[in-house]
Amino acid sequence: MPLSNNKIKCHHCHLEFDSAVMIFESIDNKEHFFCCKGCQGVFHLLKDEGLDNFYEKVGLKTLHSVNNTINDLSKFDLPGYAKKYITSKDGLNHISLIIEGIHCSACVWLNERILQVCDGIIETNINYTNHKAKIVWDPSVIKLSQIIEKIQSIGYDAYAYDAKLQEERTNSTRRDYYSRLLVGIFCTMNIMWIAVAQYAGFFTGITQGIKDILNFAEFVLATPALFYTGWLYFKGAYYGLKNRLINMDFLIASGTLCTYLYSIYATISQTGEVYFESVTMIITIIFAGKYLEVLSKKNAVDSLDSISSSIPTEVTVIRNDAKFIVDTTEVKIGDLIEVKPGEKIAIDGKLKTGSGCFDESSISGESVPIYKKLNDNITSGTICIDGVVIYEAISDFSHSMLQSITTLLEDSLTKKPKIEKIANQISGYFSLMVLAMAILTCIGWYVLGVPFEDAFIISISVIVIACPCALGLATPVATLVGVAAGAKKGILFKSSSNLETMAKATTVVLDKTGTITNGTPDVINFNQNKKFDLNILYSLVKSSNHPISKAIVKYLEQKETTPKEYILNDIKNVEARGLKAKYENHVICGGNIEFLKQMNIQCDLISNKSIFVFAIDNDIVCSFELEDTLKTGAKETIENIKKLGLEIIMCTGDNESVANNIAKQIGITKIYSSMLPKDKADIISQLQHDQKVVITVGDGINDALALSKSDIAIAMGNNTDLTVKVSDIIFINNKITTLYDAIKLSRRVFKTIKQNLLFSLFYNFVTISFAVLGFVIPVVAAVSMSLSSLIVVGNSIRIKRIFKDG
Amino acid sequence: MDDNVVSAMLFVSIGLGTLGLGAFLWGLKTGQFDDKNKFLDGALHDSEDDLNVAKKMQDKQNKVKKDI
Repeated sequence: MPLSNNKIKCHHCHLEFDSAVMIFESIDNKEHFFCCKGCQGVFHLLKDEGLDNFYEKVGLKTLHSVNNTINDLSKFDLPGYAKKYITSKDGLNHISLIIEGIHCSACVWLNERILQVCDGIIETNINYTNHKAKIVWDPSVIKLSQIIEKIQSIGYDAYAYDAKLQEERTNSTRRDYYSRLLVGIFCTMNIMWIAVAQYAGFFTGITQGIKDILNFAEFVLATPALFYTGWLYFKGAYYGLKNRLINMDFLIASGTLCTYLYSIYATISQTGEVYFESVTMIITIIFAGKYLEVLSKKNAVDSLDSISSSIPTEVTVIRNDAKFIVDTTEVKIGDLIEVKPGEKIAIDGKLKTGSGCFDESSISGESVPIYKKLNDNITSGTICIDGVVIYEAISDFSHSMLQSITTLLEDSLTKKPKIEKIANQISGYFSLMVLAMAILTCIGWYVLGVPFEDAFIISISVIVIACPCALGLATPVATLVGVAAGAKKGILFKSSSNLETMAKATTVVLDKTGTITNGTPDVINFNQNKKFDLNILYSLVKSSNHPISKAIVKYLEQKETTPKEYILNDIKNVEARGLKAKYENHVICGGNIEFLKQMNIQCDLISNKSIFVFAIDNDIVCSFELEDTLKTGAKETIENIKKLGLEIIMCTGDNESVANNIAKQIGITKIYSSMLPKDKADIISQLQHDQKVVITVGDGINDALALSKSDIAIAMGNNTDLTVKVSDIIFINNKITTLYDAIKLSRRVFKTIKQNLLFSLFYNFVTISFAVLGFVIPVVAAVSMSLSSLIVVGNSIRIKRIFKDG
Repeated sequence: MDDNVVSAMLFVSIGLGTLGLGAFLWGLKTGQFDDKNKFLDGALHDSEDDLNVAKKMQDKQNKVKKDI
């Protein structure tokens, strides 16, 4: 068919199409064109509902063309679905939905509007930013499936997500922390300008009256900062004491509280200086570090939300020749389960009818799909790529691969060793020592004949001066700066204590697929034997979703700037082998060597890489060699990490020859290949048994178990929810080079922490001895407090320069 | 400077600051910052028609509340 260049915009979706394919309709004497029946339907619906001013609001923006597939909506009314996503309150149902296909604010408006005019829907609230909707409805008037149908009828799609699970919880903690931080900052900023007046007054003279007023104002500001912002530390100290453990929180809580009480005493008795500003400042700065941690956790959860909704909750079960949609937990061993292309397997089983390709990359890490036929095992977590398959369940949901890995992970998470405990213990001893010293000082001076009140004040001054200003700030400020510097480089630390563990690491265990390599094959070699129209090949490979076909499509699109797609007939997809089709009068076929042999074509290519051969009329015209290529900078990163003195081990589920090949290219000598998820975890355990501190980098569920076992788990950014959950650090930018940056950064931070601790311990030692001797005059205390904090903060800020030097 | 002046200045300035902070915290608590696009984009789609729909929605909610 000759193509004319007469393009027309669809009236609904504003996408441009050739005029010949458009549906023409004359409404109210106006010409209207639609690209498909779906768009036409929505246009009429909006017109009937009086919502056609939607098009004014949309303006010239383009929408998705409406794809009117009739889905089975009955699953939305199943009790299993309701149990998972719907909450009932006062006879009303609540649900959180993610709406797909929203382009602009007009789309949100339309969705809200269509739901608002619908009977039985009590409340709708669609977020303009992330397109998540909260809907409240009366189940006696309308069913959930009808609500979803409404949304689908105007060309959008919606699916439920479990809001209580992740997002809501992190969101509310984040909001809580944010409020507390704001109060802290507000109080600090205000108290500081009052403190400036105090300091000035100290040197230039100040009347007692003014001083009292300033003291009182500081008291008013310090109280919410200490008890609202600093509540976390009191809580931490309380739980610590309950478990007979004196922790860092206790040190902060007792130090600030003592200073606070002493300052109140000084205010009332009108003697000495007050230290309200120190209390406020310490609490706020330390809290800012905590807030940053919560923030990075929230980021991790954000990327996870839409993925976790893809885990199937129902499967199609065939009983007595009828299909039922059944909740995954209700499937029994021996049930026959039907799987359609694109579906994720929820339950392990044995294939009974049909055959198809399965993407097992999430379980084994193997990037090429595996062809399965009668009696082959099907593992949960894999995805059926093509072919409709019926299989028999050989285990129930809770004993299936996917679920049992999850359970194992949850167990190991709680047992995770934490180095930070040691740091807490040290500070615990320190605060015990200070307390003991203060009491001894008090007794000592009293015995020496000083009045009890004065002796008590001196002992308080010991605590105040030892108040963990510098010591308390030593770690949090350094990690705070470190975490912030990391975030700029695409490194997300879930907890700041990870920096410390990472700096002590001795061994790095790397996964192959998706970590060192890109995880998808790329064309590395193209041999053209005869001249032919490359567009024929392009049209053929475009019809398949197999990674190899996709790689060739990508290669051809780069080679030819605008490849054309021809119409092919009788396209046949031979699973995991190749493609066959007819173009005009030629038989064309492309696939691996086995496939060509099957077609009786002589082929003598040999390679240890994946091969795709293309033949026209049984004549080989070209061939491709494909390989999973290394990520950019992988080799340099490995070299750099080796220079830092770390041992590097590669662990992969792939076979030996592939693993060796990659290892040779990249310079890793220690390789473990054909590893199952559990084997990887065992290797980590073995290494830890040999006193090694292990960093594991991986993606995909197959690494999750190993990640949870290791001291530091790093997940690549494109990973599955499970890995995000168990890992300590996430590389958002998905680059392997980040690993070197992360190690360098953690070592730098750890060095700074050590410097800070050493300085503040020395500083405290000197000042405490002065305080014990009763030499601490107010000005020394005031200046020494700020000065030591400033030095620690200043030293920590130097960490930022680490990435500037290149 | 009179002591009273200093205390009045402190009281007023900190009081005003606290008011602002309080308002901000209230907004945060009631979720007004959850959706940064809602108020800007929502204003684009504001008309008498929308107001009527909103009113009907309110009536529906009130009715349900009464039933309970």
